[in-house]
Amino acid sequence: MILHTLNASPSSAAFADCLRLISPGDALLLLGDGVYAALPGTPARLALDDSAVQLYVLHDDAAAAGILGRIDSAHLIDIQGFVELTERFSRQMAWY
Amino acid sequence: MLPPDAFDRDGFLRRLDDWTPDVARQIASAEGLALTEGHWEIIELLRNYYREFDSSPAMRPLVKYCALKLGSDKGRSIYLMSLFPGSPAKLGSKIAGLPKPDNCL
Amino acid sequence: MAASEAKRVLLVIRHSPYGSSLARASIDLALAAAAFDQDVSLLFLGDGVLQLCPDQQADAVGSRNLGRLLASLPLYDITQVYVDADAVTRYRLDLAAAPVTAQALDRQAISQLMGSHDHLVGF
Repeated sequence: MILHTLNASPSSAAFADCLRLISPGDALLLLGDGVYAALPGTPARLALDDSAVQLYVLHDDAAAAGILGRIDSAHLIDIQGFVELTERFSRQMAWY
Repeated sequence: MLPPDAFDRDGFLRRLDDWTPDVARQIASAEGLALTEGHWEIIELLRNYYREFDSSPAMRPLVKYCALKLGSDKGRSIYLMSLFPGSPAKLGSKIAGLPKPDNCL
Repeated sequence: MAASEAKRVLLVIRHSPYGSSLARASIDLALAAAAFDQDVSLLFLGDGVLQLCPDQQADAVGSRNLGRLLASLPLYDITQVYVDADAVTRYRLDLAAAPVTAQALDRQAISQLMGSHDHLVGF
């Protein structure tokens, strides 16, 4: 199982490559421009929901983007949560 | 003889086009080496390597390339060390007028 | 470090050869790791497959030739080279003409490949 981190917008090749290689049981943390992929109802978010990945969004990056209010708080984590994720997953793959 | 400013501070040629066999002798003599036929064979090999792969080799690929082109007798670290003491990939590249290898200690 | 304990590293290479310095950096890292006897595998994914285009003429843009550098991978004993089959099809690449021999993998095989390495390094 892999912890993916995505730091690029949903229109990027990074997003497409990442989405294609998510496997059941993987987790995905969205940061930087990646947070836009969490916007409910967008094609990117629908695709992520279909993939059944465990979805996390870095709180401060979503706040900076002005989309905090549109993201279910269950998905939001802070840096401490990020650290805990890296401890849960032995492998990490950064997409940017 | 090329002037001192033709070389970087490690003694590598700044402009690869400046290289001639005489320049090789000049660099070698600054390193305390007199070039023999064995040296020239490796120098030619290094220049071919650079043309083929657009890079200077680290030690491992240099040894393999020697084995491939010159036979297993010469494709050995100890043989290259005897010609270019210390770090053969680095010293050989320097004399052959190649850029400093990226992956060398 | 004994070979059995060595961590297996997979470099996931996703960028085209001359659009940024990332491609060059990824191959330099691979060569450096191999020169120090690390167990490195390469996966060209997505746009990364464009590095396998034959006949690159990098001097036309004043760059060093990445295609020719890739041809030296076997001399560094880097033989585990994999490529994204879907991207190869999308760009209609001829793998037989690529500068280095690479094994084409489908999506599922790529996931397995990622799962079989200890460290994944994305470029």
